[in-house]
Amino acid sequence: MRRLIASLALVATSALTIAPVLAANPPPSTAAATTSTTPQTAKGLWLLTDYPSQTVRAGETTSIHFKLQNMGLPPEPLALSVSDVPAGWKIDVMGSGQPVAAAMPAMNESVSLQLRVDVPKEAKPGSHTVTVHAKGPNQSIDLPVTLTIGEIAPAKLTIKSTLPALRGTPKSSFDYNLSVTNDSGKDLTVALSAQAPANFQTTFTEGYGTNEISSIPIPAGQSKDIKIKVTPPREVKAGDYPVLVKASAEGATADQRVTLQISGQGKLSLTTKDGRLSGDATVGKNSEYTLLVGNDGTAPLEDVEMSGSVPTNWKVEFNPKTIQSIAPGDKKEVQAVVTPAEKAIAGDYVASFRAGARGDSANADFRITVTTSTLWGIVGVGIIAVALLVLLGAVARFGRR
Amino acid sequence: MPRSATRREGSPFTGIGPVYMKELADNLSSIRMLVLTLFIIVFGAFPVASSLQQLRTVVSSDAFLFLRIFTIEPEQVPIPFVQALNFIIPLMAIGLGFDLVNSEFNRRTLSRVLSQPLYRDALLLGKFLAGLTTLAVAMVALWLIVFGAGLLLLGLPPRGVEVARGIGFLVVAVAYGGVWLAIAMLFSVIFRSTATSALCALGLWLLFFILWPMIAQAITMAFVPAEITSLDQFVGLQQLGLALQRVSPGTLFTEAVLGLLNPETRTLGPMLPTQMRGAIMGAPLALDQSLLLIWPQVTGLIAGMIVVFSASYVIFQREEVRA
Repeated sequence: MRRLIASLALVATSALTIAPVLAANPPPSTAAATTSTTPQTAKGLWLLTDYPSQTVRAGETTSIHFKLQNMGLPPEPLALSVSDVPAGWKIDVMGSGQPVAAAMPAMNESVSLQLRVDVPKEAKPGSHTVTVHAKGPNQSIDLPVTLTIGEIAPAKLTIKSTLPALRGTPKSSFDYNLSVTNDSGKDLTVALSAQAPANFQTTFTEGYGTNEISSIPIPAGQSKDIKIKVTPPREVKAGDYPVLVKASAEGATADQRVTLQISGQGKLSLTTKDGRLSGDATVGKNSEYTLLVGNDGTAPLEDVEMSGSVPTNWKVEFNPKTIQSIAPGDKKEVQAVVTPAEKAIAGDYVASFRAGARGDSANADFRITVTTSTLWGIVGVGIIAVALLVLLGAVARFGRR
Repeated sequence: MPRSATRREGSPFTGIGPVYMKELADNLSSIRMLVLTLFIIVFGAFPVASSLQQLRTVVSSDAFLFLRIFTIEPEQVPIPFVQALNFIIPLMAIGLGFDLVNSEFNRRTLSRVLSQPLYRDALLLGKFLAGLTTLAVAMVALWLIVFGAGLLLLGLPPRGVEVARGIGFLVVAVAYGGVWLAIAMLFSVIFRSTATSALCALGLWLLFFILWPMIAQAITMAFVPAEITSLDQFVGLQQLGLALQRVSPGTLFTEAVLGLLNPETRTLGPMLPTQMRGAIMGAPLALDQSLLLIWPQVTGLIAGMIVVFSASYVIFQREEVRA
């Protein structure tokens, strides 16, 4: 009896010492259970494909994408095979471009696979169901795929432009963003071309890249952004210029028309009738120079105003002061009347004439040789004459024998 | 005295030819002339040789290279050629003119000359013109030497414009010499003693060269107000100072030569900043514009020469010869 009590006491003390340990460390089994149950709802192995029923074309090879998904199972090698292959057909399981015979997806991972289906030319229309098997030591799964021989949708491309019409001057560059979509079931290499008016330069670049491209690969069902830059020639006239952007691949073409709305630009030029940018002027007197104001641009220039900067106290006037309009390629005459200051010193001076319109202006530096009046020269001769008269007067007055 | 005018027979200038020829011959053959010419040539040759030496090393192109011989300030000699001439021409003119009339008095040959059928007018004018011609001959000789040396040492011919400006310079130089010749002659008429006459002429020359610039400045300073308030005032003072300076024939000569030989010269007076605006500096003036620029100076020299000559004429006419 005494021994029994002693052994009970021993158990009690040992139980007391173990209890806090248990309280501090919750059992690991429950923790494992919560992590494994919350993210996934199902455990298992699947063979998945987006389109379990597809159309194939006789005499062509079609790729069917599928994947082997492992959810919550320990990885194991799974042998892949295809059964129910119609006679004369050739169906291979491909992985990363190579024929494969087995796959091993890790836990919660998937392996992408392809079914390469070679349909013979002589295959009759109709539906066939092939089954893809994945078989492992513990697991086994099937995927039936229905293949119907018929017309496959041909390669199809579309081009869309976000901003199909841009406006600018001949100096600006026109950048159009286009998105080319491959709507067919095949990856395509799309050749790009543009039909632009003569002397327009077109270059294609990829999205935000800088390299000039002439073709671009687009995976099936995807789209790519490309950019076309159109540079019009400088002397282009104002107007709308269409550019036809073409994308073509394997018989499929798509085009999109983009438009350049070029508002012409006037360009002023200022010169003289004979091109000589120098002239003579006399102090205090008007001198007229004929200036030619031209428009070398592509749009008419309105309200061209003439102005000039001349040395201090000089006067400059223009006739007419304002030209209402100059058509492209046209020239108008303007009379510049320059009056040097009364006290100007003889010599060469610079006068600057300026023609200004909205958006453009032209300058011409004019060298004016100022000559002084010869009046003072005559006065000098007069003074000498007076001196001689004094001498003659003295001769007349004081002359003696 | 209208009576004296009516009593005259024939032109007052009959007999001027022989007087002129005789005086010219005397001048050109005299030792004094030889000394003066040598003096001028030596004095001129030194700056010219130096400036030519300097010009030979100039590589930049210059449209008026020949004129630079006259105006450039050589490194070795601190005076340019024209400055030397400005100094020397009066000396030569005084040397030629200080005893034109009074030496005739002193040798008692005047009454003998005047007993010939010629008027005093012709005698005085003939003497003056002969002196002027002598000066001109010396100047032309010097000018030709300079141009010839330039041709030889620079190895390129002068342009037409440069020759024209050079000839203009020659005319101005002769007119300048003429003023001093007239002044020297005036003293030779006033004073019987040749020494006094020479002293007075030389004294006037020194006055104009050394004292006059200072006097002109002093007078200008007297006009300077306590505070210069406007640009016009400043310009007015500058003009006054310049006008006083221009009383001296040397200033007129320097300015005229500057305008002629430095074609870039636009004005001889002060130039306002407003006048400078837009002006292309360093652009040479056309010859006619340069001539217009210096015309007042040339007028002043020629008119001054005539007026001083007239004064000596009047005094000479009123003098008693038979002493």
